[in-house]
Amino acid sequence: MKRIFERLNEKYPIYNIKIRDMNLRELDKLSKDLGLSLNREEMIRIRSYFRHLNRDPTDVELQAIAQAWSEHCCYKSSKYVLKRYIIGIEAPQVYLTGEDAGVVELDNDHVYVFKMESHNHPSAVEPYGGAATGVGGIIRDVLCMGAKPIALVDSLFFGDFDYPEKKIPKGIKNPRFIFNGVIAGIRDYGNRVGIPTVAGLTYFDKAYSTNVLVNVGCVGVCKKENVIRSMVNKPGINLVLVGGKTGRDGIHGVNFASRSFKRNEKLEKTAVQLGNPIIKEPLIHAVLESVDKKLIHGMKDLGGGGLSSVVGEMVLAGGVGAEVYLEKIPLKEKDMAPWEIWISESQERMMLAVEDDKLDELLEIFSLWDVDATVVGRTIEEEKLILYYHGIKVMDLDTHFITSGPVYCRPYTIEYPGMKRFQTTPPEPDYEKVVKDILSNPNVSNKSYVIRQYDHEVKGGTVLKPLLGTLGSETHSDAPVIKPFDYLDIGLAITSTSNPRSTAIDPYKGAKGVVDEAIRNLVSSNAIPHSFADNLNMGNPENPVVMGQLYEIARGLGEIAREFKIPYVSGNVSLYNETNGISIPPTPTLMGIGIVKDINKIVTVDIKKENSIIYQINPTTAEMGGSLYYHIYGYESSLVPDVNKDMLRMAMNSILKAMENDIILSCHDISDGGLFVTLSEMSIGSGIGMEINLENISDIRTDFKLFSESNSRWVVEIDQSKEKDFLKIMEGVYLIKLGYTGGNEIVINDGERKIIKMHIDDIRDIWNTIPR
Amino acid sequence: MVKVKIYVEYKENVEDPEALTVKKSLSLLGFEGIENVKISKVYELEIKGNKNSAKKKALEICDKLLVNPVIHKYEVNVE
Amino acid sequence: MILGTYGTQYQGDFMKVEDIKVALLRIEGTNCEDESLTALKYLGAKPEHVHLNELIKKKKSLEDYQMLFIPGGFSAGDYIRAGVIFAARIKATIKSDLLKFIEEGKIVLGVCNGFQVLIELGILPGIENVWDEKPEAVLAPNISNRFECRWIYLKKEKSVCPFYETLPEKVFSMPIAHAEGRFMLPENKEKYMLNKIIENGQIAFRYVDKDGNYADYPWNPNGSLYNIAGICNRFGNVIGMMPHPERAFFPYQNLEFKRGNIETPGKYIFDGILKYISRKF
Repeated sequence: MKRIFERLNEKYPIYNIKIRDMNLRELDKLSKDLGLSLNREEMIRIRSYFRHLNRDPTDVELQAIAQAWSEHCCYKSSKYVLKRYIIGIEAPQVYLTGEDAGVVELDNDHVYVFKMESHNHPSAVEPYGGAATGVGGIIRDVLCMGAKPIALVDSLFFGDFDYPEKKIPKGIKNPRFIFNGVIAGIRDYGNRVGIPTVAGLTYFDKAYSTNVLVNVGCVGVCKKENVIRSMVNKPGINLVLVGGKTGRDGIHGVNFASRSFKRNEKLEKTAVQLGNPIIKEPLIHAVLESVDKKLIHGMKDLGGGGLSSVVGEMVLAGGVGAEVYLEKIPLKEKDMAPWEIWISESQERMMLAVEDDKLDELLEIFSLWDVDATVVGRTIEEEKLILYYHGIKVMDLDTHFITSGPVYCRPYTIEYPGMKRFQTTPPEPDYEKVVKDILSNPNVSNKSYVIRQYDHEVKGGTVLKPLLGTLGSETHSDAPVIKPFDYLDIGLAITSTSNPRSTAIDPYKGAKGVVDEAIRNLVSSNAIPHSFADNLNMGNPENPVVMGQLYEIARGLGEIAREFKIPYVSGNVSLYNETNGISIPPTPTLMGIGIVKDINKIVTVDIKKENSIIYQINPTTAEMGGSLYYHIYGYESSLVPDVNKDMLRMAMNSILKAMENDIILSCHDISDGGLFVTLSEMSIGSGIGMEINLENISDIRTDFKLFSESNSRWVVEIDQSKEKDFLKIMEGVYLIKLGYTGGNEIVINDGERKIIKMHIDDIRDIWNTIPR
Repeated sequence: MVKVKIYVEYKENVEDPEALTVKKSLSLLGFEGIENVKISKVYELEIKGNKNSAKKKALEICDKLLVNPVIHKYEVNVE
Repeated sequence: MILGTYGTQYQGDFMKVEDIKVALLRIEGTNCEDESLTALKYLGAKPEHVHLNELIKKKKSLEDYQMLFIPGGFSAGDYIRAGVIFAARIKATIKSDLLKFIEEGKIVLGVCNGFQVLIELGILPGIENVWDEKPEAVLAPNISNRFECRWIYLKKEKSVCPFYETLPEKVFSMPIAHAEGRFMLPENKEKYMLNKIIENGQIAFRYVDKDGNYADYPWNPNGSLYNIAGICNRFGNVIGMMPHPERAFFPYQNLEFKRGNIETPGKYIFDGILKYISRKF
């Protein structure tokens, strides 16, 4: 048995690892035994580096490299794709990208900051803790740009509640348990830190039964002068660790997220945490106070990879190095080895870079808030990361080597159902039955059982609420709007969109549709679409078909955004969402922000009056691929709706102009479930019915008219007296007059044929179905 | 009718924010010498059948609903 | 004429609103203090954030303020029971200062979590004494057993609350957001205490449906006894309520804002309180 570990010090547990003499098999075994999750090529590269240095690495060095190089930390597989299609859309409002969160100009003096991230793998294992720590992490990302968090977004994808237990790998919970845990985790964390959860989506499909997706986003605001960079660019700056203490939590959590689940897998016990919002809440106060007093030079949040990633990234970006004294780090567990301290992922921690003359004042602020703040190191001129533990040097590595992990150009195959064109034409249905099936489908039905568990009113700035209309019979809104400053009338509209049914069939067109929907939602609230964050949830990138999906999705997301000059200011990729060799459908989630110039002019979805006119904007096409209607009944279609950029643009500009002139009383976009669902939601929220005739919609079948989910369409309510003005502003836009509001029923005819006649109360009752 | 008590608590390596807050609050209130605080849940079930079948059922309940072995440890006591 | 005001002395010159100092008390987890401060600022008063530590360390003193406002949130996480940790810490540190504050007739307002704190402290319901040794009521978990964030309808009762006159006669709406808001009295004294509360004019407002009838869930979002949503002590200077006035202060905060409803009951509540203070001090 060859001696692999060489103990360096009698008192403290520090080891050299004799990697230079290892053969390939031994390298593989080492990676496995130490939980490094590095492949053979990567191990070889490390071995060469140390052969070149003429020494062996310490265990601290090896763990640090493994962590930095893991998929999660440097997007090994996806960087290339993202750079090509998504990153770099030129737009004047972009203030800062490439740091912990994207920063966008709001006006001359203010910026807003946002990001969306995934916490998929931890939530599958421990849903409450996984979701809660996801929220905690994203808040910190926004906070560490110097911004005050003002809204949370959660986009969740759950499986089939009745999924057979035996198909679920050991250690993964069943979908119902996961659902309850995730909702509770987000609720308990978000409510306690006092940031309103206002937007998001909740999607159910059996494809997510063993791979839940938890995407969380956060939006913050601050004065331009207070934006803090995520880097340090001077030597001699103090590195101050603030927030929670460091323990063994989450060790190897980052590497863990870079692997798929397998049956009978023994899951890392240390990869799970619960999060502590009551440490976070005063931390937010202390940081914002310090930002306000201009005491912070640079700041970064400790997420995946812990101290190891954060210090490395902070100094690499600034062109300096750092010296850290591991024994200074406040610990919550005894006998931690130096490598454990360095890569721990304990929650609620941030790293602040503070100049000497500002240090005392900062430490006092933190002391008043009862939040730990400890000086643990300093930046140095050499571009190296040097760690000491009780005076013993345990790491001395070049910052470039550690943090610029390998970028792969993985092989890809473009292959998906949408490449062949086919669509079955089902027999015409019993409309009452379809209506019931669609309204009660968990992807359409009333989400108040989730939304009401989140305090979406805290901070008093939620002007357009996620549930609104007549008190007592509220309906879903399109894009909620927050008023971030009490002294400005500006609002930020927030939306999150995804369309897994479409992207599974045709990733390119489906992705274009996801962008289209984000634009539609924002415009519905009278917001100008301003910026995006993308979150790509994919399967196993080692499968060329999955890489192909990634390419096509990136291509689609980039194309529409580029056309409308809406930049992606931050993004996230989650790979390896796969169990037993079966990947999730490619699921891009978008988070979109729009600017509302005056919150008094927001537009909501609920019908305001009787005898108003109802118009549909833009035509309906018979592209049924990915539609809920076809999905429920198992009909096949590869025709995912495309996006006509010109029609989208013309409609968008005209609608916003009409809203500016107070012509549009209510507006709702057409998406899941088609026109019927849109009309229903507008009536449900108001108690005012409508009489609609579909005959003016293009020459397609009635069921397609009602249930098609083709893109770029809205329904608007116009006061009769304003019709002329409306038509003038909308000149050049494809309009279809549908009918009038009034009464307490929804009556839908197609020409002479009577299709639907239902009382709003009955529609509402069906829509109020809660998934069992 | 068999009375079954199920005790569920967090494992050693899991940090419970609620327990931590209680510990801190006690210290702020001036109580000295409180070394550790742990919070558990007790479920009291009355189950039809004999002691063996009730215990079996209780264990299944733990498995399916009450316990996540990643973060919990538990004990089932039949009276 | 405001009923039952403790130690009232109406004087010729009233205090100016801009001189009214309000302490917004907080600890870790209090999270509604910013918008609460904004609301009072807009009315012209001088609100200030005051951390409990600052009062304990004597950096600030209660006697400098005319009103103490305990805002909503999740103080100390709402762990063990909502409000209990905050209450325990107050009782252990500044009890005598707070007692003096109340006896002088100054205003104490607790919203949501603040209401829970006042109940756990024993300052509310305040049926007889200024301060009860042990809690005489509770704000228990909602009967729906979940956190409820929704708008509800309220109707005011004839009361000694300082905002009785400024609240509208008709039904008005405000938002609630809580998991523990069910007002309950001890079982063995329930009838007696409830009658006293009604007699003394201590109920500020009650949950109703849109027609003003006293209805059950969801109009009564938590199952409160007698649909009680807010109360004051028998002197009218300590008030607690579950609905959030700071979230119903500006017209654009109203749920039905775009439907033409621009009522701002929160503003009327704060206004009534500030007017009372300016008349009294």
